[in-house]
Amino acid sequence: MAQRAVWLISHEPGTPLCGIVKFSRRYPTVEKRAKVFNGTSYVPVPEDGPFLKALLFELRLLDDEKDFLESRDSCSHINKTSIYGLPVGSEELWPVVAFLKNGMIYACVPLVEQTLSPRPPLISISGISQGFELLFGVQDFLSSGQKNDSELNTKLSQLSDLLLQTCPFGTLLDANLQNSLDNINFASVTHPQKQPAWKTGTYKGKPQVSISITEKVNSMQYDKQEIADTWQVVGVVTCKCDLEGSMPNVTISLSLPTNGSPLQDILVHPCVTSLDSAILTSSSIDAMDDSAFSGPYKFPLTPPLESFNLCYYTSQVPVPPILGFYQVKEEEVQLKIAVNLKLHESVKNSFEFCEAHIPFYNRGPITHVEYKASFGQLEVFREKSLLVWIIGQKFPKSMEISLSGTVTFGAKNHEKQPFDQICIGGTAYLKLHFRILDYTLTGCYVDQHSVQVFASGKPKISTHRKLISSDYYIWNSKAPAPVTYGSLLL
Amino acid sequence: MGPLGRETWAQRLGTFRASPSAFMAGPEGEDLGRDLLSDLRSEKLSEPMKVALLALCLEYPAQLWPDAPAAEAAATSLLDTLVLLPPRPSALRRPLLLAATTALAAGGALSPASGASRRLLPLLLGLASGRDLGRSFGPASEQRPLQATAWECLRELESCRPGLLGGCLGLLRALLGREGPVQPLSLLLALALRNALVIQARAGAGLQGLLTAGDSSMEGGPWNWTLAEEGDVHLQPQAPSWPAAEEGECGLAALELSPEEARELRATVAQLLDASYLLTPVAQAQLLWLLGWALRGLRGQPPVLFKPQLVRLLGTAQLTLLHAMLALKAAFGEALFTAQDEALLLRRLTLAAQHPALPLPTHLFYLHCLLNFPENWPLGPTGEEAAPLLLGSQLCRGLLPSLLHEPMALLARLHLLCLLCMEEEEKEEKGQDQSPRHYLEELLAGLRQRAALDSGPRALATLCFQASYLVAHCLAGQPVVLTPLTQGLAQLYRTRPALAPHFVDLLDRVGPELQEPLRVALRQEVVSRPGREEALRWHLLMLARVADGDAQSATLNFLWAAATHCTDWGLQQALLRVCRALLRAGVREGLVDLLQALARQLEDPDGQDHARLYYILLAHLAGPKLGVALGPSLAAPALASSLVAENQGFAAALMVQEAPAPVRLSVGPRRAEGPVPVLQLQVEVLEPVYSLELRFRVEKQLYAPLRAVHVPCLCPGRPTRPLLLPLQPRRPAPARLAVRALYSTPSGLTCHAHLPPLLVTFADLFLPFPQPPEGAQLDFFEELWDSCLPKGAESRLWCPLGPEGLEALVSRHLEPFVVVAQPSVSYLVAIRLPPDSRLLLRLEAPQADGVPVALRTDDWAVLPLAGDYLRGLSAAG
Repeated sequence: MAQRAVWLISHEPGTPLCGIVKFSRRYPTVEKRAKVFNGTSYVPVPEDGPFLKALLFELRLLDDEKDFLESRDSCSHINKTSIYGLPVGSEELWPVVAFLKNGMIYACVPLVEQTLSPRPPLISISGISQGFELLFGVQDFLSSGQKNDSELNTKLSQLSDLLLQTCPFGTLLDANLQNSLDNINFASVTHPQKQPAWKTGTYKGKPQVSISITEKVNSMQYDKQEIADTWQVVGVVTCKCDLEGSMPNVTISLSLPTNGSPLQDILVHPCVTSLDSAILTSSSIDAMDDSAFSGPYKFPLTPPLESFNLCYYTSQVPVPPILGFYQVKEEEVQLKIAVNLKLHESVKNSFEFCEAHIPFYNRGPITHVEYKASFGQLEVFREKSLLVWIIGQKFPKSMEISLSGTVTFGAKNHEKQPFDQICIGGTAYLKLHFRILDYTLTGCYVDQHSVQVFASGKPKISTHRKLISSDYYIWNSKAPAPVTYGSLLL
Repeated sequence: MGPLGRETWAQRLGTFRASPSAFMAGPEGEDLGRDLLSDLRSEKLSEPMKVALLALCLEYPAQLWPDAPAAEAAATSLLDTLVLLPPRPSALRRPLLLAATTALAAGGALSPASGASRRLLPLLLGLASGRDLGRSFGPASEQRPLQATAWECLRELESCRPGLLGGCLGLLRALLGREGPVQPLSLLLALALRNALVIQARAGAGLQGLLTAGDSSMEGGPWNWTLAEEGDVHLQPQAPSWPAAEEGECGLAALELSPEEARELRATVAQLLDASYLLTPVAQAQLLWLLGWALRGLRGQPPVLFKPQLVRLLGTAQLTLLHAMLALKAAFGEALFTAQDEALLLRRLTLAAQHPALPLPTHLFYLHCLLNFPENWPLGPTGEEAAPLLLGSQLCRGLLPSLLHEPMALLARLHLLCLLCMEEEEKEEKGQDQSPRHYLEELLAGLRQRAALDSGPRALATLCFQASYLVAHCLAGQPVVLTPLTQGLAQLYRTRPALAPHFVDLLDRVGPELQEPLRVALRQEVVSRPGREEALRWHLLMLARVADGDAQSATLNFLWAAATHCTDWGLQQALLRVCRALLRAGVREGLVDLLQALARQLEDPDGQDHARLYYILLAHLAGPKLGVALGPSLAAPALASSLVAENQGFAAALMVQEAPAPVRLSVGPRRAEGPVPVLQLQVEVLEPVYSLELRFRVEKQLYAPLRAVHVPCLCPGRPTRPLLLPLQPRRPAPARLAVRALYSTPSGLTCHAHLPPLLVTFADLFLPFPQPPEGAQLDFFEELWDSCLPKGAESRLWCPLGPEGLEALVSRHLEPFVVVAQPSVSYLVAIRLPPDSRLLLRLEAPQADGVPVALRTDDWAVLPLAGDYLRGLSAAG
C-alpha cells in the first residue's frame, strides 16, 4: 500500500519539453521492497528527466501530434483508467497513477507486492487507491485558496516538509495535507488518549456551527420528440464545527418540505459515525416511486476541526428550473438564431445573476449581429465568437423571455477561434449560468433546531443555501445533438 | 576538505537532483556521501540546508552509500549526529531518525550483527513507547512529533524485515489500550500481527503467547530477532487476499492456534477495529487490508468482526475505504457478505462510479472495480473483465458512454456497453430504438463524425479507432454490429483519407471478423477513386495494405491512373509498395506491363530501379519464392526503415544464407564391389530439408573431383536410403572430404551449411579382383604374387589376433578379397586398389596371439598403409 515515488509536473505546452518537474520524491525503502516483490519483473523508477518525457508522451501532452505514432495512436493501445504503463528504456514501468488537473500533472508509482508478470488486476493492488488519495490530497492542498503563481510556489516549497509528515516512508498517513501543516504549527498541543488522528488539536473559543447547502443543477434540453430532456441536482453540504472538547458529538439533519424531492446517491464524510439504511439505499439507479425515503436525513458525526463536506447527494426534481429551446438555421453566410427561456413558477425568481452564453464554434469571428431581445441585454465578443445574453436578477412577470437575431461571421482563423469537437455542422448549444441565493431546488434545508450538539456551551448555528447552474445546456433543436442513454429511454 | 559553503551545497544538490546518475558518474560523485555526512555536523551550515541534505539521504541512499557496509557506516554517523545535537529545539531530529532508518533498511544493513541496528531499534522503541531514555532526548515540545516518527520508523523496518517486531506484539497491544497515539500504534500492531501469523504459519507454530507477553517483553534485554530471522526468507506478497491469485499461496490454514491464542487474537483484532474510527480514512483502509490479510484463511477466526465497520464505510465517498471493502469482499466472500450485502455493495459501487461529486480518475477506477468485482459465486472465467451477474442493464443505465465523456471514460463505459450488447444478444430483442446495440451504433457514428473533422486533433481520430477496435474485439461474433461498423468506417475513409495510417493499424490488429470485410470495403473505396487527388499518397498507403489478388483490373486501372500523378519520390515509392503487395498476392497478369512502364516512365532513378527489380523478380521467380522474397524480412529489425527492411528482405530471400548444419552425415558399411570404390553415406536430418545438394571436396586432391549428390526431400523421422558417393582415387590413399550442404528450408529460403569432414579410410578403397574360374584360384594368386616384383615391394609382418581368432577376423574384414581359403592353414588375399595398384596377402597358420602375414604390392607407397591396416585389424574388432 506504499508508493515508490511521487511527482508533480506542470504541463507547459509550447516549451521544448512541454513540462517541468515541480516536485518529486522517491521512497528507497519501498523501492527495495519492490525489487524483492516484483522479482524478475521489477523495473526501477527512472530519473525525473526520462520519467517526464515518457509520461507526457503517454498522456498525449507533447505538442507533436502531427503524425500517426503507433506506440501512442494504435487502436489497441487503450487505457480505461488513470493508470498507465510507461516505456522506460526497453521495459515498462507499471502501474503509474497519473492525471492532469488545472495544468498540473499528479503522478505516483504504487508498490505492487507481487510479481508484475502477469499483471495483477488493479483492483487487487492496495497501493492504487492509496496513490490516488495521496495525489488528491496534494491537489486539494495546492488548489485550496491558491490565487497566483507565487502562492503556488509557496505551497510547492512546503510540500517536501508536508510529505515528511504525512508520507514519511511512502505509506500515506493522512490525505489531508492542510491538517499536517496545522499540526506542524500546533506542535505543543498535548494529545489525550482517543484523540482522532484526523483532528490535530482542539478548538478554544465561542462554539459555533455553520452548515451550508450548495446545489448545482445540470440539464440537457433538446426540444425534440424522440429525445427526452434530462436534468439533475447535485448537492453538497459543507460544515464547519467550532466546538470545544476533543470529540464533540453532533447530529445534523437535512429536511425536505412536503413537496420536496428526495435526496439520493448520498455519500458521507468518514466522520459520520452511523448511517440509516434508508439513506444508504436511496439511489437514483432505481426507478422513482412514492415510497422513496424523504427524510429527515440524520447524520450523527464527530466533526474534524477544519471545514468539511458532510455529504454529497443527487436528486431528481420534477421539472428543470428553466426550460428553453434554441433554434439555429444556417442561411448562406449568416446564422439565424432563436432562443426562448421560461422560468418555472415554483422557482424563486431572484437571481444573483443569470446569463445565457451562446458560443459559435468552428467558425470565423463574429462580424455583425442583429437581434431582438424581449428582456435583458446582449453582449457580443467578436473574436471569441460568443454572444452573452445578460438576463439579470429577475425574469419578467410572464416568466418567459425570448431572443432572436442573425449573426454573420468572417473568415475562419484556426489560431483564434475556438475549436469544438461536439459542435460540428449544425450542432450547437447555449449554456445557462445562474445563481440563486438562499434557495435549493430540492427544497432541502437544515432546521437550526434540529442540529444537536453534545458539547459544553450552546453553539450559535448558522445555515446557508444556494443554487448554482452547472453544465446547463440547451441544444439547437434543428440539428443532431449528443445524447446520453438515459435520454433515449423515455 | 573543509565544509562546503551554503551556495556550493545548494548548487551541488541542484545538479544531483537533475540527474543523480550523471552526478555520481562525475568527479564529485564519489565524495558526495562522505561530505554530506560530515557537513551535517558543520556549524557553518544553516538548519534548513541540513534538512535539504537529509532529504537527499532519504531519497537517494542507494546512490550515496551503494553497499551494506557503507550504509551501516552512514547510519552510524547519522545516529552520532543525532546524539550530538544540543538539547535545544531542532528541525533535524525527525529527519535524522528517518534518514538512519532509511539507510539501514534500504542499504540492506539491518541485522543483528549491525551495530547501527543495535543502537537504532531500542532508541526507536524507547521514543515510541514514551519511556525515559536516560538522557533528555530533545526538548519536551518535540516529544510528540518524535514519538510519531519513531512509530513510523518501526513500521517501515517491520515492512522491510517482517517479524522484526514480532517480539513486541504484547507491548504494542498493551500500549494501544493505554496511551500513545492510536493511529501509528494500530497500524504497526496490525502489520506486525499479520507478519507474525504468516511466519508462524510457515513454521507450523502457534502465536506462542506473543500477544499476551505484556510490555515487559522487550524491556532491557537484547532485541528479539527470532521471528525476523524466520521471516527473512522472502517478503510476503499481498496476493493471498485476492482470490484470483490465491492458488497455493495462502498458507495460514496451517496455523494451529490454541483456544486461548484464538481468543487473544480475536480480542486484538476487535480492539483494533473498535478504535479504527479514530484513524484517518487512508489509515483505516490500510488497517482493513492488513487485518483482512491476517485473518483470511485462518481457522476459527470468523470475519464477522468486520461487520460493524461495514455499514459506516459503505456510506463514504472515500476511494481507499471502498477499495478496502472490496478487498475484504474478495478475501472473505460469503462469510462476510451475504447475497443482499453483495447487492448493496454493488449498488454503492455503481453509483460511486458515476456520482457527479467524484472526480474522473475515481469514476474510472470504480468502473474497473465493477468489471472485476469479486462476486461470491462468479460464473465466468476468472481474470477476464465481465459485468457481474447482479449488474443488470437497469443498474448500468447511468454508466453508458456518450460523446460528451472524456476519452478514457468513454472507452471504459463503451466496454461496459459492449458487455451489455453481448447479454442483449442472448435475450430477446427489445424495441429497436432503445436497444443497447442501436445506441452503440449511434455512438460509433458520432465518434466517426468527429474523427472526420479535418481540423480535429489526432486524439479524436485515435479515440474513434480505439472504440472501433474495442467493439470489434468484444462483439466479434455479431455480424449485426460489424456490418454497420464496416460501412461506417469505409465512409469515414471516403471523407478523410488522411486517416489511412489509423486504418492500416486497425486492420493489423482486429480479428478476421472485421478485418476481411473492412479490407474489401476499403479496397473498393480506394480503387473506385480517380487516382489523381490530393489524397493520393493516403490511397496508395491504404492500397498497399488492402490490395490482394481480387479485383485485379480495378486495382491496376487505379495504379495506371495514379502513375501519371506520382511525381515525387515519396509517391513513387508508395506506388511501388502497392505493386509489391500485388506481387506478393500473386498478381502477374497486367502487373508485368505496369512494372515495365514504370521502369521506363518514373523520373526518379531509385523508383526506376525498384520497378525494374520487381519486374525482374516477377519474370524470374516462381510464385512461392516470390512470396518469400517479398515477404516480411526475416533479417531486418522491425524498426528499420521500410527501404532498408526491403533490401534486407531481398537479401535474405534471394541470397544464400549461412546456417547451422541441418543434416548429419556418416560413412556406412563398405560395399567392396563394382569398378570403383563407393562410399555409402548415411543421412540424418534435424529439420525438413528440400533440394539438398551435398558438395564434396577432396583435400590434397588425392582423388578426382567428386560429383555432388542431390536429394529432393528429407524429413526428420522418415527413413532415408543411403547415398552413394563413387570415389576416383588418383592414389590409393585415405583422404578427408570437406562437405558443404545447399538446401531450401520449408519457408523458401536457400541455405548453405558446412558439415564436419568425412574420413575415407584405406580400407574404404579396397576392391576385389574378378573371380577366377573354379580351380584356377591358386594359380591366379601366384601369378599376381609374382608380378609384383621387382617393381613393387615385399614385407612380412605380425598381425596380432584377438580372442575370436583368425577366421572371424578374415570373415569380418577380408571376406570379399579372399582368393584361396584353407582355414587354419592359410588364406590368400588379393586386393585391388584403384586406380591401378594391388595388395596381396598371405595369412599363414595362426599362432597363439597372432598370425604371420607375408605381403606384396606393386606400389611401394602402399606398404606403410597396409602395415598400419593389418596391425589395426584386431583392434578394430
